[in-house]
Amino acid sequence: MSTTWLPCGEYHQNYKQDHAWFQTKFIKGKMILLALILIFGIPYVSDPYFLSICNQVGYTILGALGVQLLIGFCGQITLGHAAFLAVGAYTSTLLILEFPWPKILLDWGLAYPISIVAAAVVAGIWSVLFGLPSARVKGFYLILTTMAAQFITVDFIITQYVSQVGGRGQAFSLPPGTIKIGPWVIDSDLKVYFLMLFLVITCVVAVVNLLRSRVGRAWVAIRDNDISAEVMGINVFKYKLLAFFVAGAIGGVTGAFWISNLAAISPEHFPWFWSLWLVGVILIGGVGSIHGTIFGSLFMVIIMEALQLAVMPLADIWPKLLMDFLFIKEAMFGLAICAFMIFEPNGIAYRWWQGKNYFNLWPFSY
Amino acid sequence: MELFFMTLTTGILVGGIYALVALGWVLIYKCSGVLNLAMGEMTLIGAYISLSFYNMGVPFVLALVISLVIGFILGIVTERIFLDKLIGEPVLTVIMVTVGLSFFFKGTVEFIWGTDTQVFTPAVFSIEPIHIGPMIVGQVYLWSFVAAIVLLLIFVAFFKYTRWGLAMQATADDEMAALSLGVSARFVYAAAWAIAFMAAGVGGTLLGNINGLNISVGYLGLLVLPAVVLGGLNSVPGAIVGGIVIGLLQNFCGAYLDRYFPGGVKEIAPFAFMAIFLLFKPYGLWGWERIERV
Repeated sequence: MSTTWLPCGEYHQNYKQDHAWFQTKFIKGKMILLALILIFGIPYVSDPYFLSICNQVGYTILGALGVQLLIGFCGQITLGHAAFLAVGAYTSTLLILEFPWPKILLDWGLAYPISIVAAAVVAGIWSVLFGLPSARVKGFYLILTTMAAQFITVDFIITQYVSQVGGRGQAFSLPPGTIKIGPWVIDSDLKVYFLMLFLVITCVVAVVNLLRSRVGRAWVAIRDNDISAEVMGINVFKYKLLAFFVAGAIGGVTGAFWISNLAAISPEHFPWFWSLWLVGVILIGGVGSIHGTIFGSLFMVIIMEALQLAVMPLADIWPKLLMDFLFIKEAMFGLAICAFMIFEPNGIAYRWWQGKNYFNLWPFSY
Repeated sequence: MELFFMTLTTGILVGGIYALVALGWVLIYKCSGVLNLAMGEMTLIGAYISLSFYNMGVPFVLALVISLVIGFILGIVTERIFLDKLIGEPVLTVIMVTVGLSFFFKGTVEFIWGTDTQVFTPAVFSIEPIHIGPMIVGQVYLWSFVAAIVLLLIFVAFFKYTRWGLAMQATADDEMAALSLGVSARFVYAAAWAIAFMAAGVGGTLLGNINGLNISVGYLGLLVLPAVVLGGLNSVPGAIVGGIVIGLLQNFCGAYLDRYFPGGVKEIAPFAFMAIFLLFKPYGLWGWERIERV
């Protein structure tokens, strides 16, 4: 499992070391530094614009993590992940708005955390439902069924039926104060940031841990060759469904998290475009790598913001540019995916790995 | 009963257009193995080009021919720039390149032509309906269907009787053998994309005549997917039958099920049908079954 190259002279002597979280002291120090920066450094720069970008990155990481798990580790290509985000978001919203919570839970601020868990379970089960065809079909046909999941869930069930619950019209809005965790009301970018950080770290750690276990090895085996995996005694169908469940559950958590930032929710937040966007993120970051998910999210969000900043000054000369920025963004995203697929099919994570190895042996690469 | 016949004819007539676009899709898949998700945006480009020329005062047939020529060039350019380099790459890579292309095309179309619905002015086909026996058919539908069928016949004849068409069939059948017999695979791939672009453009133009043209016509490109899955991915007759069945299914669901499930039954019925169909017949009606070995 180990993807790090150890420095010269260090060897693993037992399996425990091989499976250790931090393979060398340097990596441990680096991760602690990263954690310190994330927890203390970034909130210190409490510029709302900067924090909102961070939250967007976190949202993309969470969303792409489920896609990465399905495509990168289990080999089940999905083009409908936004559907599970939507299911999670709507489950959480409806629970908060409609469920008769006992007063004590509301006082303790447990309604939102419980609704996140419920969202994860519901979205996971919904995802398993659309994972069922994976027993019979794979590759392109599976892509089609996941696409069907997107259209059936978001464009039909949620738009036509779920949105009508409570007679509020298309968009649900969450009154201020309803999204409350313990004593904290999530009402500022900073609080959303901490919630995001907690969820991202929890989900990433959970997924990495799963990948170190029997389950993760079974997924990778299915990805590499499902017939061989079956011959080796892995229950392929069961593990595929498990992958769908976990991916859907992460999607549900993502959706439930995002309502804390939006404070309103409508089906337009989860278009098919977003499903494809998430797949694009992991392709640009690198398929089959957790690093890749994070790099891809950072790259896409930052590039798109930079593009927007670059277009702003030009807008004085040509106002149509600003008005149609959404379309430019779409076209650029498409070109970026094409360019990455053609010139850098291994994604950013591969370059990162190469760079690390270069410095591992630096200055004498022997 | 009248509703039934109305739905039946509309379904078949619209299905003819779907069949045309599905043919383009199957062609690309058969010849080069590319699963193309950019079909809808390709229809949009062709449709907008012919609409622009028509509204400038060019006669309809000439506008259609211009859009065919531009589609031909665009198809070759697209293949050369983007897909030529991907021969032999994994499925996901190729699919995502076509997804990237679809975003690129869509963004460009929206940027150039905007998102408002545009109509062919003056209307190409008269709005007087025609009576055929007990059925009343809109002229737009009828002539679109006729045009689609004529083009389908031209394409089929092209494959059966011309040298280029035979070269494409040979490549689709066995690439190695075709290469060793002196067929240029690069030429065949480019030709497949050019023809698909042309077919998509005509399909888009015809659909644009029915309800006006906006971005949602690109949805057609997604409807093609259930059609080809139904017929089997690598079967030309399958694509035609699949297109017509999807047209029928869509219209019947719109006519009969809309009462019970108000809203977008018409739009999602093909996809729901496809998801269930795949469970029972994963290779479609006439698709080749892939035998896998370790």
